Order: sequence, then C-alpha cells, then structure tokens
Amino acid sequence: MPQYILRISLDHTSFRIPSLLSVSQVFNFAIRFISKDKYRGLLVIELEKEEDVHHILARDTLVLSACELYASGDTYEELHEQMKGNLKVLEPYLHSSFKFTLEGANHRVLDKRVTETVESFAYTELKGKIQMKDPEEEFVIFEDYDWEVAHTVEARIKRDGKFRHVYFGRRVGFGKARLLPTVHDVKARAYYGNTSMDSHMGFLMAGQALPAPGKIIYDPFVGTGSMLYASAHWGAYVMGSDIDGRQIRGKAKGKEVKPGILRAAAQYGTEDLFLDCLTYDVTKSPIRRGGWVDAIITDPPYGVRAGAKRLGRKEGGRPLRDEPYMFPDGTYSHLMPGYLPPSRPYELANLTKDLVQLARWLLVPGGRLVFFLPTVTEDYQEVDVPVVEGMRELKVGEGSVQDFGKWGRRLITMEKTAQDDGPPPTFEDHEEFDIRNQPDHLPGHHGFRDRYATGFSSRKKSENASPAGTPPVLEPVVSLGSGDKV
Amino acid sequence: MVRLITHNMLACHVKNCTKDNFPLSFSDVELVVRPAPENLEFIQRFLPKLDWSALVDTARSLGDESLPEQMPDQWTEEQLKALHHVLMELHVEEGNMTCRGCGHVYPISNGIPNMLLAEHEVGR
Ligand SMILES: C[S@@+](CC[C@H](N)C(=O)[O-])C[C@H]1O[C@@H](n2cnc3c(N)ncnc32)[C@H](O)[C@@H]1O
Ligand SMILES: [Zn+2]
Repeated sequence: MPQYILRISLDHTSFRIPSLLSVSQVFNFAIRFISKDKYRGLLVIELEKEEDVHHILARDTLVLSACELYASGDTYEELHEQMKGNLKVLEPYLHSSFKFTLEGANHRVLDKRVTETVESFAYTELKGKIQMKDPEEEFVIFEDYDWEVAHTVEARIKRDGKFRHVYFGRRVGFGKARLLPTVHDVKARAYYGNTSMDSHMGFLMAGQALPAPGKIIYDPFVGTGSMLYASAHWGAYVMGSDIDGRQIRGKAKGKEVKPGILRAAAQYGTEDLFLDCLTYDVTKSPIRRGGWVDAIITDPPYGVRAGAKRLGRKEGGRPLRDEPYMFPDGTYSHLMPGYLPPSRPYELANLTKDLVQLARWLLVPGGRLVFFLPTVTEDYQEVDVPVVEGMRELKVGEGSVQDFGKWGRRLITMEKTAQDDGPPPTFEDHEEFDIRNQPDHLPGHHGFRDRYATGFSSRKKSENASPAGTPPVLEPVVSLGSGDKV
Repeated sequence: MVRLITHNMLACHVKNCTKDNFPLSFSDVELVVRPAPENLEFIQRFLPKLDWSALVDTARSLGDESLPEQMPDQWTEEQLKALHHVLMELHVEEGNMTCRGCGHVYPISNGIPNMLLAEHEVGR
C-alpha cells in the first residue's frame, strides 16, 4: 500500500493524530501511522489509495503538503540504495516535465548543497524536460532536522546536513485547509466577543465532531458562535443556545438587525446552515426529545471570562418564588420588558457531568460530544472525565491538551455507544461533587473558577475531603442583569 | 430563524406543565421564506424524529397546506420537497409561541426565541 510523507505544522501537536483520524473517519478510509516518532515536522502514513490523501489535504488544517514516499534513510547512502531498488515507481513519470525540490524541516538547507544533492539523483534517468515553473511532476527531497532555537547564520552552516532522516518522494499536493484559520480569524469576523475561541482551535475541535452535510451539530453554550462556524464550513447544519441572548445577538438592537452570529455566518457563506439560535438555560431546556443530534461541540463556561450560571437561587438563601410577583400597580414583574430571572452559580464538575448525560440523551447512536475541559494540572486524574453509561471517551495517547502551566485545557471527545435515547438528564446537583459528602477525590476541574482566581494554589486536604461542619464554599448569587430588582 | 424543524423539537418546560405543552402555538407571526439548498436525504433521515401531526397543524396555522394529514408510507420526491420547504425554509422572525397548557408566552424577536423561564416557573 502506498505511503505518504506529510509535511505538517509543529503547532498543536497533541491535536495532530486526532485530527488526521477524524478526516479518515469522515471519509471512511483506513490510515496507518508509520513514523516511530509521530510528532516531528514530517510524518509518514500509509493509505490504501491516493484519493484518501486528497481528503487529508482538503480538510486538515495542520497539513502543509503531501508526497508519495519512494525511499528514505538516515543517510543519503541508505536512501539512494533503497531508491535504486525501487526505480520502477518512476516509470509513469519518465517523460513528464519535472523539477526537484529540497526541503528541510526545521532548517533551511544551504544553497550550495542543493545542486549537488539534486545531481546525486542522476541515476533516476528521468527523461522529461526540467521545468521550474508548473512542471507536471515535482520530486521532493526532505531532510528532517531536530528543532532548535538558535537561528544564527553560523548555527545554520554548522547544522547543515546533520539531519536525522532523509526522504524522497513525489508531490501529490499542498494543504488546502491550512489557510482556513486565517480566513476565519476572530479579529476579522463580523461578530465576536471576549469568549470567542481562536479560529484554529475552532477547526481542530470541529474536526472531532466529524462534521459533514446532513448532520446536525449543537452547541448548548453557544455564546458568540465560534464553535459552529467551522462545523458549518464543512457543510453541517448547526444550532446553538445560550442563557444570555445578548451573546447571540450582540449589542445592536432593533427589528431589522441581524443577530451577530448570523452576521458572522453570512460572512462565511454558511448562514443557511444555521438552523436556529435560542435563549435558554441548558439545565431548564425546552427540548422535548432525544436521539436527533449528530454531535455536540462546546466550550463550557468555566468562570474565567463568562461564569457558569443556572436559573435558581442559592441554597440557604431566599427560596424561589412559587407564584409570580405582582407590583402594587397590578403588573407582573416577569412580564416587564427586560425581566431577567435570578440565577445561581453552576459548578464545573456538575456542569461537566450534566453535559455528558445530555449528550447520552440527545445524540444519535455513534454521535459525538466534543468539549474543552479546563483542569488544574496538579489535580487532574484520568477519572476526572465523567463516566456515564452509554458514553465512552475516545482518546489518543495522553489526549489533546493546551498547556498553560498550572492549568490546561483538555479536548475531550466522547462517543455515544448506547443505541437508545434513555431518559433526559435531571440536572440535579451530583452528590459525588458535594464537599459535604467528603468525597475522596474531587476532579481537577472542580471549583475551577475560584481556583483560577486564587492562582491555583494547592488544594488543602480539608478542601478535598472537608471535615464535617466546614461550610461549603458557595459563590454569591449573580443576577443575570439589572432586570431582577424585585 | 425559528424554523419548523426546530419548533417541532420544542415543548413548554415550565415546572409541572406536562399537559398540552407541545406543540407551542404561534401568534402575531412575521413569516419570512428563505430558500435553502435541498438535502432530501437528510429530510428523509429526520422523519422518524418528527411529531407529524404537530408539524402539520403548525404548518397549517402558518398558512402552509402542503403536508398530508397522515405521514406517507412511501414518499415521492415532490412530497419530500414540500416537507423540505416547511421544515427548512419557513422562518418565524417575530411573534410569540404560546403554551396551550399553562399559557406561558415565549416571545421571538429577530428570529431568536426567548425560552428562559420566570422565577416562579423554574421549580428549584
Ligand atoms: C465560554 S463561553 C462560550 C463561548 C463561545 N464558544 C463563543 O464563541 O463565544 C460560555 C457561554 O455559556 C453561557 N452559559 C453559562 N451558563 C449557561 C447555562 N446554564 N445555560 C446555557 N448557557 C450558559 C454563557 O452565557 C457563555 O456565553
Ligand atoms: Zn406550559
């Protein structure tokens, strides 16, 4: 089976393999990773047919180019020896116009070595015309160097030729999705906010949801919509909801004003794929049935920029009203323009478990849940990803992590294994996260907001398993806005 | 927005409102028709998720009579196209969705429905 050399970005390396796998899953082809070290600037993979590599080039934002691999080695001697035994692969191209290119990964090869290196391939006896501009075939030699910080001229000269590995192949094409993150750059978007996700991360996340035409992808914490633009770009129908309608709409008011999310969608030519955007609290949601969403993709609120909240009142405070409140003049408070119901904080461990249960209900069998889980690095354990019957985590190696030192964001991808819808989640607080029950372990994302605010100081023993009588740390009730003056 | 495909998935969720809480009925509607690319395969796959009689009633309340009373066993392409039109191309941009059970009014503005509950409707 043919092997291909991918020249691939060194950004977001822990997202690389999941990203390639997701392309193979969307288009249903097999991919084998041949390189021992999968995290260098060049990656060798094996595919059944060339068509598959074109899917990768069309879709993967990290891939710069792909070549069919003909020979490789730790030295040129090894490479040439292999190539001399493999000359038949060149037969179809013997009379094509061509050029040779020498590319270094992590290094710019010195000009004077380029000519002599290309000439060392004279035994290939290619008979076509050499043509630097638009040749029919481009043959590429890749030298793969270790990554190094210093880039002085002396360092470059000293390093030249001291590569780890060298490859030879024929260019199949260049990555077409590479520029998408730039095209979708948040700062150039018709509508964005301070919670908008970086566009490249948006594409990498969306990839895990396997977006494709005819699928429905839902973000229950949609904010300014940045999780949805990439999914819609790949042709999926998308929808979103948020407790705060202002996030969806933006500041501009008036009947003729198009909501912000749709303005951005229109900019990307995907407005007709935005099924709907709705305002509600995901824990008090009007969705009537499960089993119809193909993927949920979300960046849940964890309190740093936009706190998680849910309708209700804090425990121990004033209880919720059972009856509507009537002003002395006979009008009801909740019917006044701008009325906003009271809310209470929504602790992240509870939210995360609810999210997985929501997915268990709402997704079709085989559907995916993709979300970012921020965790305090020191406390993270594998068990922190909520375990819910009918949902399983799909993980590659240590998982995909954006590391910010004391904390990190993990991209969690789960798949619904259950075949039925099951009951809708109740969204009750989960007892295992209630510190009054003295849990043995609290997830590394529990109470994330407070811990972020205090610079991630270590949990005291007493916080992990609080002695009886310690009052729970509850945040004050935050009102959604000024409407709640009752 | 507020397309009928979404509307068919929504019920009133006021606490203790379980009778006649679906479908929500439209009133004072400003309706816009926006042609959308057809994906009839998608429409066909989505059929089992729909509540058919709720859909037919709602479409009729908005003046679209194209859907048959009973969900067809065998679909013609023409019928699927009519369904595509009803589900994907009708947009309620302004108006109200009212629960026939408890009377809660969910207002729609700029195509976005406000489905937040009031304090006394939350139930903890
Ligand atoms: C981290 S932001 C999501 C940002 C989003 N990806 C974007 O592009 O802007 C989290 C969002 O969750 C919303 N939110 C918080 N609590 C919620 C709840 N209980 N139900 C629904 N949305 C909620 C917030 O209003 C906020 O917009
Ligand atoms: Zn009701």
